[in-house]
Amino acid sequence: MKKIAIAALLASVTLFGADHVIDQKGKTFIPHEITVKVGDTLTFVNSDPFAHNAYTDDEANEFDIGMQAPGTKKTVPVKAAGKFDVECAIHPNMLLEVTAN
Amino acid sequence: MIKKSLLATLVVSALFTGATANDDMKKWLRPTEVPQPTNNKLTPARIELGKLLYFDKRLSKNDTVSCATCHSPARGWTDEVPTSKAVGFEGRVGPRNSPVVLNSAYQRHQFWDGRAKSLEQQALGPIEADVEMNMPLKELVPKLQKIKGYKPLFDKAYPGEGINKETIAKAIASFERTVVSTESPFDKYAKGDKKAISKDAKEGFSLFKGKAHCVDCHDGFNFTDGSFQNIGLHDGNLTGKELGRYNVKKRAAWYGVFKTPTLRDVTKSYPYFHDGSVKTLKEATVICSHGGRFEHNVKNKSDVMVDRHLSEAEVDKIVEFMKSLTGPDLDIKVPTKFPQ
Repeated sequence: MKKIAIAALLASVTLFGADHVIDQKGKTFIPHEITVKVGDTLTFVNSDPFAHNAYTDDEANEFDIGMQAPGTKKTVPVKAAGKFDVECAIHPNMLLEVTAN
Repeated sequence: MIKKSLLATLVVSALFTGATANDDMKKWLRPTEVPQPTNNKLTPARIELGKLLYFDKRLSKNDTVSCATCHSPARGWTDEVPTSKAVGFEGRVGPRNSPVVLNSAYQRHQFWDGRAKSLEQQALGPIEADVEMNMPLKELVPKLQKIKGYKPLFDKAYPGEGINKETIAKAIASFERTVVSTESPFDKYAKGDKKAISKDAKEGFSLFKGKAHCVDCHDGFNFTDGSFQNIGLHDGNLTGKELGRYNVKKRAAWYGVFKTPTLRDVTKSYPYFHDGSVKTLKEATVICSHGGRFEHNVKNKSDVMVDRHLSEAEVDKIVEFMKSLTGPDLDIKVPTKFPQ
């Protein structure tokens, strides 16, 4: 049973890509740089006591998760290869550098 | 000599000496260096040229308005009026309170709506704005090229680059990078001099970091985290310039938001807020600590703008603390003679 579960998990990772958790804490993205694969996902978790946001204007990967309340998480797909910056629209000193292969 | 003293002023004003701060206070200490772009490192020649340009009214269409008109060292690097009234080109009124130049070198975004990503980008905006200096750059460049005295100064500051909009912007930005905080009573306190500020100011600092949540936005040594917030000065639907950063791009999080200003030298930079609608620090503190001027019906109001239930005595202590963030005026000699 365990083997089946592990196999299913591996299959889902292979099929859907890995999920990378980005913590939003102390007005920083943790980590602040990450290397991922196309097909992976980024999950933003707001650990601060006030709202955050994450967006990129990168044409191929453009997203904007909108206003993200404390304690919530939002997931976005990595759609294309390349390097792009993710910023918080509220706190622009929060920067995440993403390298997608 | 003047050039050497300019750099010395910059370095000395940025350095801290004497007592050492404990770990809790380190985040509030001024940095030792001012950020500089790789293509525009500070030199005495660049700073001196930028200073002349900053104060030279010939950069405006009719030779009556300089950068210093609305961002004056004598008026806290702003202009003491709500929305640059009667000081812009031919007395025209700008839409927003003139932002302080002090410590803008440390900000990632310039202007209240953050539409410029560098001081170089920012420097040319007010020159061309019709309510400010009303001077098209295509006219300014030949105008400066005809002033013979400017050529050797540009040659020395930017060898081989000539007089053009890029070098004009870089020079002004260089001067602005020297407009940084001097040592305030709070800085002495942060370094360990416990007598540098009053008991009320110390309690105000605790409230500032704690119950009042001022630090949610006015964070770090510059007392701003560079964030963009809608502090609820207006209710209902917003229009025109009140849309703030939303005018830069129609991003939902940017509806009605403006950049959090520095609180350094805040006693000199009245009136307050992006619309200059508040005359006193106390009134500004009351508005911020009570969740904005409007409690309800504010679209996209920041979630940190909630009533913190402060007493008047607590507000007064926070104001006392903010007063301790004001240092002596920078030793900048305003030019009286300009290149001819």
